[in-house]
Amino acid sequence: MQKFIAMVGTNSTNSTNRKLLTYIQRHFADKAEIELMEIKDLPLFNKPEDRKVPAVVTEMANKIDAADGVIISTPEYDHSAPAALMNALEWLSFHITPFIDKPVMIVGASYGALGTSRAQEHLRQILDAPELRARIMPSSEYFLAHSLQAFDDDGNLVDEQNIKKLDGLFADFQIFVKISDQLKNAHGANYEEVRNLDWNK
Amino acid sequence: MKLVGIAGTIEDHSYNRTLLKFMANHFSDQVDIEVLDIQDVPLFNQSDDQTDGAPVQYLKRKIEGADGVILATPEHNHTTTAAMKSVLEWLSFKIHPLAGKPVMIVGASYFDQGSSRAQLNLRQILESPGVDANVFPGNEFLLGNVRDAFDDQNNLKDDKTISFLSSTLKKFLTFVTTINDMNAKVAAADWESEDLGAHGHVDTTIDGLDMHAADWVDQATKKTNAVSGDTYVRLDCGVLTVDQLNYFLNSMPMELTYVDANNQFLYYNHQTDPENMSAKRAPAQVGNPIEDCHPKRAIPHVKQAVHILRSGQTDLFKLPVPSDGSKADMHYYQAMHDKDGNYAGINEFVLDILPIVKYYLGLTGQKLVKDPNATDALTGASKKSDDAKPDDVSGASANTDEAPAEKPAEEPKPDVDSVSGASANN
Repeated sequence: MQKFIAMVGTNSTNSTNRKLLTYIQRHFADKAEIELMEIKDLPLFNKPEDRKVPAVVTEMANKIDAADGVIISTPEYDHSAPAALMNALEWLSFHITPFIDKPVMIVGASYGALGTSRAQEHLRQILDAPELRARIMPSSEYFLAHSLQAFDDDGNLVDEQNIKKLDGLFADFQIFVKISDQLKNAHGANYEEVRNLDWNK
Repeated sequence: MKLVGIAGTIEDHSYNRTLLKFMANHFSDQVDIEVLDIQDVPLFNQSDDQTDGAPVQYLKRKIEGADGVILATPEHNHTTTAAMKSVLEWLSFKIHPLAGKPVMIVGASYFDQGSSRAQLNLRQILESPGVDANVFPGNEFLLGNVRDAFDDQNNLKDDKTISFLSSTLKKFLTFVTTINDMNAKVAAADWESEDLGAHGHVDTTIDGLDMHAADWVDQATKKTNAVSGDTYVRLDCGVLTVDQLNYFLNSMPMELTYVDANNQFLYYNHQTDPENMSAKRAPAQVGNPIEDCHPKRAIPHVKQAVHILRSGQTDLFKLPVPSDGSKADMHYYQAMHDKDGNYAGINEFVLDILPIVKYYLGLTGQKLVKDPNATDALTGASKKSDDAKPDDVSGASANTDEAPAEKPAEEPKPDVDSVSGASANN
């Protein structure tokens, strides 16, 4: 069974993005083992000169390393991904490389009608940066709009269309993970390149 | 002109901060740039609101006090930094100090790109409705290969780079003036919505009464069980009875009028008959919407005046009332605010400054002479708004230039010799 990390893209206590990932975890329990990952306990990135990342970041990086793929659910703040998520990705690319060639699926939930469209675009741009270089599933977007009304009391999505779309994307992601596994010809070179990337040289 | 600069990083050493400091020094003859510190701003968390904390309030105050903002962004992972974004999230959550502000983006990076993608991304963030800044278009200043860009004194080495930065900044300064003019015009245009009929409601509005009634004060007293006479009232810095408050207010050497945020006239220090007052008031007018207290032709100017105070374009404006020279009545309109800074109404005070001026001249052995260079002597407040005539209003001309903070061009210097009893203290 595939193992995925579901990264909650916010440090907020109440989050429909967390709710969406919890639903995904439960809904696809027979298809994949999904572990929720929080980003809320990280300090603000300050590019320490000793290049050491906090222990909690190392732990996260190890889990991502061990997983077959990562699902990130992002809110949208000011037309972009939240600082808290940008912060986590800054730590997770600071002389460590858990995301290189890692399959990533992006989803997002918003209170309003747009469903984090711009934050997802922003997140793709970030994950494409050389130190992250994740394999983001192309041509796939999952916008959960009006997220406060999207769940029932048990935390299940109420709209059939929403569920159907998610089922399809998740099945695609499972295949995408397998395909990505074959796209490894450049992995060694990518990895070396990032390891040798030294902004301070 | 005053600008503030923020480098989007909390690193101990940052070339983006160096760049801002260079700009502050190098262009200090053209503009005052203050570089702000974001070191203590916590990572934004909507479940742990720190808007009222010192670091965010410091930024709010500094930004509000500035004509424009320069943001210097590093690029991390093809985007601006979490440190920068976090600051902008705080400044777009419960407060919006960047709304309408002219903002210029610059950035420095280790390699060729010079933070190009971070700048584009930052532009997009700044234009989101929560932040709502006016971002300076075009004129990208990308400082690549930054490790070789500065000399030992932290000055940019390359003359062409400096000259480009200089021309960019010059254009930005014009942009700042233009945008702020536009903002002032837009804000000024809002004045028509000012409701002088007091149809609205504020927390202290006494409901269910006819504001126009001649006995409004009695009705309001009954309705609120208002205390009077020898009942004690706790004030900020003292305790007085209502009688004592009246003695105190009635002995003020000026006419005081209280108008609340709903434009209702609630109080004046009733000193004498209307005929003898500079701003004529009668007891039966108290409680009226201020619309009732002005001639119809004056209404637009009163609206403009109230709006200027309500919107914070100025906290005080002054209006000299022309006379035959026997008096020099000044009308002052002072915005009042509650402890949270919300607009609470107007304190209008009217006084004849001529006795004070005469006393001062006598005391210091000076006299008034005509200033041959004066262009606009006592036609009222206004250089810009020609349509505002002071005699229209018992008040107000709409003129934001009449801000109170202005000092007289030359402070009169006391002539020690002519002051009885004063010894030269040098």
